[in-house]
Amino acid sequence: MDTIHVTADADALRGRATQLIDAGRFEAARPLLAAARVLAPPSPELTLVGARLALGSGAWEQAMRELDDGIAAEPAHAGLRKCRADLRQRIGDREGSARDAAEAVIFDPADPQAKAILGLALLDLGRTADAVACLAEAVAGAPTDFDYRQALSSALEKTGDRDTALLVLTDGIDLCPASVAMRNAAILLCVRRRDFTQAVRLAEIARSLGIADACTFGLKGHALSSLGRHDEAAVAYQDALKLGPEDDYVRHLVVSSSAMPDSRRAPEGYVRTVFDGYADRFETHLISLGYRIPGAIRTMLQAHPKIAAGLPVGPVLDLGCGTGLVALAIGDLPLGPFTGVDLSPRMLTHARVKRLYTELREADIIADLAEHPQRWPLIVAADVLCYFGTLEEILAIVHQRLEPGGWFVFSVEAMLPDHDGIIPGNGNWALHRQGRYVHAEHYVYEAACAAGFRVTRVDRPIVRQEAGADVPGLLFAVERIRDDD
Amino acid sequence: MTIDVHLSAVGVDLLAAGRFQDALAPLRLAVSLGDTAPATLLNLAIAEDRAGDRDRGRRLMRQVAVRLPDWDEPMLRLAESLRAAGETMAAEEAYGQVLDLNPSRPEALIALGGLLLMRGQGEEARTLLIRCCGVAPDNAEAWNTLGLTLRATKAPSPALTAFVKAQTLRPGCLDYVLNGVEITLDAGESDAELARLTVACGQDPLNPAIQLGRGMLLERLGRRPEAIDVLEAAAALTPDMVVPLRLLGGVLARSSQVARAQQVLRRVSELDPDNPQVRNDHATVLIRLHRHAEGRTILLDVLDRHGPDIAILCNLANATACLGLQEEAVAIARRAIGLDPRAVLPRRALCNTLPYRDATTGAELLAAMRDCSAVLPRVAQPPLGNNPDPDRPLIVGLLSGTLRSHPVGWLTVAGVETLDPDQFSLICLTQNAAPEDPIARRYRAAARGWIEVDGLNDAALTAVARDRHIDILIDLGGYGDAARMPACANRLAPVQIKWVGMQAHSSGVAEMDWFLTDRWETPDGFEPLYSERLLRLPDGYVCYSPPPHAPDVVALPALTSGFVTFGCFNNLAKITPRVIETWAAILRRIPDARLILKTHQLSDGPTADRFLAAFASLGIAGDRIEPRGSSGHRAFMGQYGDVDIVLDPFPYSGGLTTCEALWMGVPTITLPGEIFASRHSASHMSNAGLPDWVAGSVEDYMDMAVARAGDLAALADLRARLRDQVRRSPLCDAPRFGRGLGAALRRAWQAWCVETSPPMPGHVQSRNVWK
Repeated sequence: MDTIHVTADADALRGRATQLIDAGRFEAARPLLAAARVLAPPSPELTLVGARLALGSGAWEQAMRELDDGIAAEPAHAGLRKCRADLRQRIGDREGSARDAAEAVIFDPADPQAKAILGLALLDLGRTADAVACLAEAVAGAPTDFDYRQALSSALEKTGDRDTALLVLTDGIDLCPASVAMRNAAILLCVRRRDFTQAVRLAEIARSLGIADACTFGLKGHALSSLGRHDEAAVAYQDALKLGPEDDYVRHLVVSSSAMPDSRRAPEGYVRTVFDGYADRFETHLISLGYRIPGAIRTMLQAHPKIAAGLPVGPVLDLGCGTGLVALAIGDLPLGPFTGVDLSPRMLTHARVKRLYTELREADIIADLAEHPQRWPLIVAADVLCYFGTLEEILAIVHQRLEPGGWFVFSVEAMLPDHDGIIPGNGNWALHRQGRYVHAEHYVYEAACAAGFRVTRVDRPIVRQEAGADVPGLLFAVERIRDDD
Repeated sequence: MTIDVHLSAVGVDLLAAGRFQDALAPLRLAVSLGDTAPATLLNLAIAEDRAGDRDRGRRLMRQVAVRLPDWDEPMLRLAESLRAAGETMAAEEAYGQVLDLNPSRPEALIALGGLLLMRGQGEEARTLLIRCCGVAPDNAEAWNTLGLTLRATKAPSPALTAFVKAQTLRPGCLDYVLNGVEITLDAGESDAELARLTVACGQDPLNPAIQLGRGMLLERLGRRPEAIDVLEAAAALTPDMVVPLRLLGGVLARSSQVARAQQVLRRVSELDPDNPQVRNDHATVLIRLHRHAEGRTILLDVLDRHGPDIAILCNLANATACLGLQEEAVAIARRAIGLDPRAVLPRRALCNTLPYRDATTGAELLAAMRDCSAVLPRVAQPPLGNNPDPDRPLIVGLLSGTLRSHPVGWLTVAGVETLDPDQFSLICLTQNAAPEDPIARRYRAAARGWIEVDGLNDAALTAVARDRHIDILIDLGGYGDAARMPACANRLAPVQIKWVGMQAHSSGVAEMDWFLTDRWETPDGFEPLYSERLLRLPDGYVCYSPPPHAPDVVALPALTSGFVTFGCFNNLAKITPRVIETWAAILRRIPDARLILKTHQLSDGPTADRFLAAFASLGIAGDRIEPRGSSGHRAFMGQYGDVDIVLDPFPYSGGLTTCEALWMGVPTITLPGEIFASRHSASHMSNAGLPDWVAGSVEDYMDMAVARAGDLAALADLRARLRDQVRRSPLCDAPRFGRGLGAALRRAWQAWCVETSPPMPGHVQSRNVWK
C-alpha cells in the first residue's frame, strides 16, 4: 500500500474542528487543529479554536494562556473576549469575566451570546437587576436559545419574580415546543414553587406530545407523589427508569413500588440524593413531622449502667448522623467525644455548624466501619437502618467495632400487617413505597442475637407522623456479648 | 549519442516512470538498431514481461543471464516475473539462484521470504528476513516482512518491534501501522503501543497513517467512541482516500451508527466503484437501514459485474426476502449453498428466509436448521467445571447483537430486569453495542458484567464465556445480524437456551439444550418439531415493555370515517402472495373497507407500486390500499390511530408489532401455523386476554375479520379499555414474568445438575424437572 496523502486546506480542517468542538467531540477535533496549525500561520481564529478545545478538555490553564496571547495580539476580537469571559466565569474570576463580556458586547453589540455571558457574570456579582436586563436582551436577540432563557428565568427567580421567571420558560416552550430542556426547566421551577399541580400539568402535556425524557417523568413522579397520587407516581417513576436506568434514586423508588425485585438496602446514590436535597430544611421538616427518635434514644441511654451510675461511657460513633440531631439530644450525658458518619455532604455541613462532633466523615456507613478498625463503647444509628433491608451485614460489622460490653442503639420502622392482614415483604422486612424499609420485631431480635448481641431493651416509640398517622418504630439497645473475632 | 543509445535512454526513462507499454517501442527499436548491451536487453525484457510478450521477455532475461553469469539482476527480474504470474515454485527457485550469486540481495531475500511464508515455512522465511535486515537495515519492507514472519511463527512481541521499525523508516505507510495494530494485543503491549501512537500523532499531525493505526487500536481495545473520533479526524485529513473512509465506515457500522456508516461507505463506493467488497459493505448497511431495495440493486449489479459470490448472494437473499419476494429469496440462498455446501453463511441465509415462505413446514425448517448446525465449526473443548449445586445463585449470560431498541430489547428487557438479583447475576455478551440507547442502558444497569464481543472470534468468545463461569447461556440472536449463536456449538455454558432473536423456530443446534416458549407457541405435541427440550413459561414467552413515549390511544377511527380500516405494520418479508390474496378477499367482502400497509420498505416507490399492483390484480382498487413508509417510532405507534383492526400476516406472524398494536388499542386477527414464528401473535393475544382473536383456518380468519368489522360498538369498547387491560395482563406484568423466568431457568439448571451428578447407589430419581 502506498503512502497516503493529506489535504492542504487548513480552513477546511479548522472548520471541521470547530464543528466537532460544538458537538463536544474534543478528541476528534484535536488532530485536525494540530494539522491546521502546521498548514497555516497563527491567526485569531485558530487561537479561538485552540482555546475552546482546551476549555472543553478541562485544560483551563492552557486555554487561559492561549486567550491571553490571542487577546494581546488582537484586543478587539469579540470571540476571544467571549471565550475568556466564559473561562473566567468558570474559574470564579467574576470581575474579569464581566470585563471581558462587556468588551465583547462593545465590539459586537448585536451578539446575544456576549450579552448572555455578561448577564451571567453580573448575576454572579450579585447585580441581579443588571443581569436581568442583560439576559432579557440576550433572549430578545435569540429567543429560541434555551440557555439564555434558563439564565433569565434564574435571574428573575432571584429577584423574587417567580411568575415572570415561569413565563420566560413557558414562552420558550411556545417558541420551541420540541425543547425538552425548556419543558423540564419549567416543570422544575413549578416543583421549586411547590406548585405541584401545575408541574404535573406541564409534565403531562410534555408526555402527551412525546417531548419528555427521564427527567420529565422523574419530576412528574415527584410532583404526583407530593400530591399524594402515589399509584400514578409509581408509573411515572417506572417510565423515568426506562429512560434513565442508571438513576439509583429513581430505581429505588421503582423498587419500592414493587415493580422490580427488592434490593437488600437502599443504594448510596439514593440516600445521598435524598438527604443532600433535604439538608437545608431537614430539621424543621422532621420537627413538623413529630420526629421523636433522638428523644427516645436519650431515654434509653439513661438506662445504660454507666450513665445511670454517673460514669463516663466514652467515645460515641453516630452512624448516619445527618445534621447532628442525636448528638444534640444526648450531648449533655456523660458521653463523647462524638464521631459522625453520613453519606450526605450537605447534611454534614449542618452537623459541623453545631460543633458537637470532633470528627465528621462523608462515607457509606458499612464502608466506613470496614475501613476504620477503631472499637467503640457506644454506637448509635437513628433512622438509618430504615435504608437497609437485611440487617445481618450491618449488625455483624457493628459487632466487630464495639468493645466487649459495648452498646449499639438503633431504630427501625416497625413492620405491620397490611389492611388485609397480610404480612408484607418476606416476613422479615419489606420495602415501602416511600423508599424506606420496615422490619419485623422478631427478625431484628433474632438477627441481633445471631450476630452476637444480647438485646438489653426494646422500646416502641412513634417515629414520626405521616399523612396525619403515627408511624410505629422499634428502638433497640443491644450489647456485645460474644467476642469471636 | 547514437540514435540507438538515445532510444535506449528514452526507454529507460519510461520504464522508470512505470510506463511499460510506452517503453516497448523505443527499446525494441534500439535493440533492432544494434544496441545489444546487456542492460538494454534486460530493460527490453522487463518491458516485454510487463506490457508485451511475457515469454519473449523471459527468454531475453535468460539470454542476458547466460551472457553475464555473475550478474544477479537478470535472474532477479526473471524471479519477479514468475512470482507475478503466480508460478511460485519456479519463482522460489529463481530467487534461490539470485541469492547464490548475491547472498545479500535484499529484494530476493524479501520476496523469497514472502513466498516461503505463504506456504507455511515461517522459520525459513524468518531466517532470510533476519539476514535481509542485517544487510539492509534501512529497508522498511524488509522489517515489515520480518514482522510478518515473526507473527506467523508466534513471536508477537518481536513482530511488533519489527513493524514499528518499518514504520520508523517509512512513517506514511498504512500497511506497516495496521500490521502493528493487529499484533499489539497478542504481544500484550497495547498500552505502550497506544501511548507510542498517541505521541507520534502529536509529533506528526499530518500523518494520517499513524492516526488510522491509533484509531484501529482503540477499536481493538473496545474504545469505539474514541476510535471513531480518531478515524474521523484521519478521514478529514484525507478526504478523497478510500482506506481511511473504509476503516471509519466499518467502525461506525459496528458501533450501530449505521446512518453515518452509510454516508461514509457511499462515499467509499463512489471513490472505488469497481471494488465488489466495498459495494457489498455499502449494501449491507443499506439493508441494516431497511433500505432493502437500494441494497438489492447494488448487490445485483455486483453479481452481474463480478460473478457469483457467496457473501453477496447471502446478503441478496436476505434483502430479497425483506422485499416480500420469499420464493426468490429461498432460491438465492439455495444457489449460494450450491456454490459451497460446507459453508455456513448460505445455510444461515436459508434458515433466515425459509420461515417467511408460505407453506414451509415445521419439519422442513427443523431439517434446514439441523443442516446448518451440522456445518458449524466445532473445536473440542475441555469439560466445564461449573458446580452442579441445584440451588446456588447462577450466572446467566445473554448473548446478542441486539440488546437495544429492537424487538429483542422490547420483549426481553423487562423480564431480565425483574429476575431476582440474589438468584441470578447477568453477564451480557454483546455486539453492535449502542451505548446511548435507553434499552441498551437498561440491560447494562441490570447486568453485573458487560462484555463487547465484536472483536472476538468464536474460539475467543467461547473462552470468555467459560472464563466467566457462565452457568446458563441464553442466545438472543440466532442466525440474525451480528448473531453469535454458532459459537454455542462449542458450548459456552453447561446449560444453553434459545430465546427471542431470530427465534423463528427450533435452532437445530445440537448443543442448544432448551427452547424458551409457552403453551400457545408450542402446545403439547409440538415437541418433535424442536431439537431442544421445550422450557414453557407459565404465561407468554416474552414480556413487553411499553415505551414511555407512546402516544395516547385515540377513538376508533371507523366511528368518524364511516368505514373500517384494516392495517398491517409488519415487515414486507412476512407478506406473501397468499396473504395478499386473503386480504383482498376480505376487502372484496367489505367493499368500503381500506387497508394501511406500513413498513420501512414501502418508502421505496417501486416496491409500493408492486404491492398495489398485486392487489389490483385481485380486484382491489389502488385507493383502498395505503402504503406508508418509514417514520420514527412514536409516529409509527401513533399511526395505529388510523387503524381499526390489525390483520396479521402468515405464516410469519407479528411479534413486537402485535404488542405495539395492542398497546395502541388495536387488536390483531391472527392465524397461527406450525412453525414457532407463525404463533407469536396467538401467544401475545392469548396472554393479553384476547384468545378469541385467534383464527383456526384461513376461512375462519376471513370470517373473523368480516364479523369484527361489523361490530363497531364492540371494537370501540375494546379499544377504550385495551391499554389498561394489556398493562395489567401478564404480557406487561414484569415482576410476574421475572418470577416465571427465574423458575424456568432454575428448572433447566436443576435438570443439568441431575443429569451431571451420578445418582447415589440406591437413589431413585423421582423428579421430572423438565415438565
